[in-house]
Amino acid sequence: MRPDTMGQARRPERNATLTSASRRVYPATLDWVQINGKGEPSMRSRLILIAAVAAATLLPMAPAAAGTQPVRLLETGSTLLYPLFNIWVPFYTHHVARAVQITTQGTGSGTGIAEATQGTAQIGASDAYMSDAQVKSDPGVLNIPLAISVQVIAYNLPSVRGHLRLDGQVLAEIYAHRITRWNDRRIARLNPGVKLPPLAIVPVRRNDSSGDTFLFTQYLSGMDRSWSKTVGYGTQVSWPANPALVGATGNPGVVEALRSRTGTVGYVGISWQRELDAAHLGVAAIENRAHRFLLATPQTVKAAAAARVAKTPRDERISLILAPGPQAYPIINYEYAVVMSRQKDLRTAAAIRGFLDWCVSPRGGNRAAFLDRVHFLALPPAVVKDSQAQIAKIR
Amino acid sequence: MRARRARDRLMGVLALLAALVVLVPLVDLVVMVVIRSLPALSLSLFTSPTQGAAGGLENAILGTLLLVGLAMAISVPVGVAGGVYLGEFARKGRLAGAVRFSADVLTGVPSIVLGYFGYVLMVVDLGWGFSALAGAVTLAIMAVPYIVRSTQMSLDRVDPALREASLALGAGLGTTVARVTLRAARPGIVTGILIALSVALGETAPLLYTAGWSSYPPAPHLLHAPVGYLTYVVWTFINEPMASAQHLAYAAALLLMLLVLGVNVLVRRLVSRAGRSELPIR
Amino acid sequence: MPRVLTALVASFSLLALAAILLFLLGAAWPSIRYNGLTFLTGTTWNLGNLYAAAPVRVDGVRAMPGATFGALVFVLGTLLTSVLALVIAVPTSVGIAIFLTEYAPRRVGGAVSFVVELLAGVPSVVYGLWGIIVLVPWIGSWLGPALARALGFVPFLRGPVGTGAGLLASGLVLALMVVPIIASTVREALLMVPGELREGALALGMTRWEAIRAVSLPFARTGIVGASILGLGRALGETMAVLMVSGDAINLLPRNLYSPVGTMAATIAAQLDSALTDASGMAVHALAELALVLFLITVAVNVLARLVVRTGAMRRT
Repeated sequence: MRPDTMGQARRPERNATLTSASRRVYPATLDWVQINGKGEPSMRSRLILIAAVAAATLLPMAPAAAGTQPVRLLETGSTLLYPLFNIWVPFYTHHVARAVQITTQGTGSGTGIAEATQGTAQIGASDAYMSDAQVKSDPGVLNIPLAISVQVIAYNLPSVRGHLRLDGQVLAEIYAHRITRWNDRRIARLNPGVKLPPLAIVPVRRNDSSGDTFLFTQYLSGMDRSWSKTVGYGTQVSWPANPALVGATGNPGVVEALRSRTGTVGYVGISWQRELDAAHLGVAAIENRAHRFLLATPQTVKAAAAARVAKTPRDERISLILAPGPQAYPIINYEYAVVMSRQKDLRTAAAIRGFLDWCVSPRGGNRAAFLDRVHFLALPPAVVKDSQAQIAKIR
Repeated sequence: MRARRARDRLMGVLALLAALVVLVPLVDLVVMVVIRSLPALSLSLFTSPTQGAAGGLENAILGTLLLVGLAMAISVPVGVAGGVYLGEFARKGRLAGAVRFSADVLTGVPSIVLGYFGYVLMVVDLGWGFSALAGAVTLAIMAVPYIVRSTQMSLDRVDPALREASLALGAGLGTTVARVTLRAARPGIVTGILIALSVALGETAPLLYTAGWSSYPPAPHLLHAPVGYLTYVVWTFINEPMASAQHLAYAAALLLMLLVLGVNVLVRRLVSRAGRSELPIR
Repeated sequence: MPRVLTALVASFSLLALAAILLFLLGAAWPSIRYNGLTFLTGTTWNLGNLYAAAPVRVDGVRAMPGATFGALVFVLGTLLTSVLALVIAVPTSVGIAIFLTEYAPRRVGGAVSFVVELLAGVPSVVYGLWGIIVLVPWIGSWLGPALARALGFVPFLRGPVGTGAGLLASGLVLALMVVPIIASTVREALLMVPGELREGALALGMTRWEAIRAVSLPFARTGIVGASILGLGRALGETMAVLMVSGDAINLLPRNLYSPVGTMAATIAAQLDSALTDASGMAVHALAELALVLFLITVAVNVLARLVVRTGAMRRT
C-alpha cells in the first residue's frame, strides 16, 4: 500500500486510474489491443519487476568461492554452549586453521544430537550426555566433553539482602506447589534471622527443551525422593500441575520473568550472571551433598569437578550433579560435542579432529581467556586426555 | 436524521479507534526495535558476514533474498494460477472445492511442522542436505495458500459485466482472464502476494530444519549448502548473553521490517504506474 | 488448455497437503496405537523417562517408561486462544478497513496502512519479545485486575490474574499478528464494491455508515469470512510468539481468562527438540499426532465456517 494511493476514496480525480482505491465509475473499456498499443510504461515496469526479482535471486550467487574448496563443518545444538562456540570458531578459523569453514547454530541439544547422528551436521552440541538406550540405537556415536558449565538458582525478593539458602527438597516442594509463600516455615528454618516477606512464590521453568531443565531436575531428583519418583529428570519433564508455575522461553525469558515480578524463583545458566546482576536479582546458596549451602565460585565448581574426574568413564557419559565433597557446588555439568566416529570422508574427519583437539586443549579453546567470558570452567587434565582419546576415534 | 448523522459520526470514530488500537502497540514495538538496534547500525552490517554472534549481516541479508526470492519464484506462479483456476475456470466442482479447502487448511499447519516435514522429506530422504532449495520449497508451501485464496477472492469480486462483455466481444475465456479479469483483480492479488511475502520473510521455524544456517554468504549452488537468513539472527541472537548479539538481533528485525516495507512500496508503485495507462476498471 | 494447466498447478496445494497428511499419519501411527482415545481426553503429558536404560514395549509399540500423552490441555488452549484472537481481530480489522476506505483523510489513511503492513513483516519472535517485555506485565498489573474487577460477575473473567502470561496475553498477541492479514484482505474486498451500488445508496439519502452497512459490508461479506479463515489459520498454527507469552501450561486446564495456557503448535515447537532424544521415538510420534489433531481441528473449523457462509447466503436470497 503506497501511502498516497491510500484513502483516495475522496479524491478520485487526482489519481483517477486503475489503483485499487479509486472509486470513480468508469465506462468499461475493453479494448485490450489499444491498451497494449500504448502500454510502454506497463512493459517497462514489468521488466523492472522481473529484473528486480532476478537480481534478488541471483545476486547471492555472485561471491562464488574460487580456488581450493575449504572444508565446511556445521556445528548445531545446545544454546548454552552456543556462545562459547561463537567465541571459539571465529578465532579458530582466522588464526588457527584458515582452510576450515565452521558454521555454528543454536538449535537445542536434542536437535544437535539428532542432526549429528543423522549426518546432517558434523558436530552436535549438547548439555546432556546421551542415554544408554540412545547410544545403543546409534552405534559409533561419541560424547566428548568440551568444557564445564554451572547453573545458579535466582530469585526476586528485593527486601531480602545477602544470599537466601535453599535446599533441593524446598525447591522441589515449591515447584510442586506444596510450598506457596516465601514466609513458609520450611524456608524460614533454612534462613534463621532473615525476614521473609509473606509473598506468593512464582516458580519459573523453561518451556523450551533445555539443558538447564535437565540439570535442575536432575538436582531435584537427587535431593528429593518424591520428585525423582513422580517427575524425574530430562530436557523436558512433565511438570507438576501447579497453577503458579510460569513457563519462559530461553534463559533471557527466565531472566525477564524473574526481573518483572517480585516473588519469582528460577534456574539460570551461569553465562547469564551479568544479566542477573544488572536486574538486581538474588542468587541462592544451595545445599550440596554434604549438606552445606554454597554459591557457585571458581573454588566450589573446581572442587565439584575434581570430585568426579576419577569417576568419569571411558565414554565420558556421566552426570556431575551432586558431586561429593564439602566444598563441591552441586549443579555443574560437562558440555558435550556429539560426533559420529565415522564421517563421510577423511578430509572432513581430519577437520573435525583438528578443531575439537584445539577446543579441549588448555592452550587452545580451554584457555581461561575464552572460557571466562561465559563463566565456564576448563576441563581437568585427566578429562582432556579422555576427550583426546575419543577425538582420535573420528575417522 | 440527526440521530442517523450521529450514528454515522460514531461509527467513524469507532473505525478510527480500531486503527488506533493497532497503531499504538505497533508504534511501541517499532520504537523498541529501533532503539535496541541502534548500537549495531553501521555500514559493515551490510558488507561483512556474521562471525559467531557478532560481525555483520551480509550472509543473512543475501540468504534471505535468495530464499525468499526463490520461494516467491515458486509460489507466485503456482498461487496465481491456482487462484485463477478457482476464480475463473472452475468456480464450482470437486477439484475446485478440494483446492480451496486445502489452501485454507494449509495456512493452519504450524510452521514448525512444515519445517520438520521438509527436513525428513527433502533434507534427509531426498538427500538435499540443508540447502536453499529445501528452505525455499518449504517457504513456498507456506506462501501458496495466501496467494491462491486472495487471487480467487479478488477474481470473484471483479464485476461480472466486465467478463461477460469481453466474452461477448469474442475473446476466449483464456484471453479474457489474461487481458481483462486478472488486470482488474490485480490490486487484490498483489495484496495477497505481499502478505505471503511478509509471512515468508518473518518465518524462522520452517527454515531452521531445512535451510540450516551459514555464517558465510550463500554458495553458488542450491543443494547441499546451508544458507543464512535474517530471522535466524533474530530468533537465536536475542537469546544470547552478549549485548552485541542482542543488538544484532534487533538490527536484523529492523532490516526485515524495512525489507517488507520497501518491497511493499516498490511493488505498489510499479503496479499503480502500470495500471495508469490500462483498463480503467471502476 | 489454460484450464487444464491451471488445474494442474492448482493441485499443488492439494498435493502438498496430502503429502503432509500422509507424513503425519505415518509418523503418528505408533502414538495412535499406544495412546488410543486418552490422547484426546487425558490432561497429563509426559514424555516418560528418556534416560531409562531401555524402552518398554506396550501393545507392540516401543515407548520410554512412564510415557503418557493426553493432549486435552493443548487442544483447549489452541481453541481458546484462536477464538479469542479472532473475536478481537475481526471487528478491529473490519473497522480499520472501513476507516481506510471510507473515513480516513488521505494522509492519515496512508500512514495507517503503512503501519498495518509493517505489522505483517514483524518476525513472530519480536512479537513474542514485545509481549514479554510490555504486554504481559501490563496485563498482570493493570488490564487483568481491571477486567476482573469490572467484569468479575462473569465466572470466566474472575481473578486471580497471576503473572499476566496466559490466555489473554496470547489472544492479544495473536490478534495483533492476524490483524494485518484480515484488514488488508477486507480492505481489498471493500474497494471492490461496485461504485454504482454505493453511490446509489448515498443518492437515496443514506448516511455513509448506512451505505456501508446496507451495501458495502454485505457485498464484502464472503471476503470478510475468507479473510477471517486465513487469519484463523495463522492463529491456530502460530508457534513462537504464543510460546513466549502463554505461560505454556502443562498438565493444567485453564481456569479463567488469565490462566497460563498451552497450545498445540507451541508445544510441538517447544518439545520437538527433547523428543528427538527419545530412543524409542514415541515422543516424536506423539508430537506428530498432536500436529495431526491440530490438522483435523483446522479442517473442522473450515467446514464450520463454510456452513455458516452457506446458510447465511441462503437466508439472504
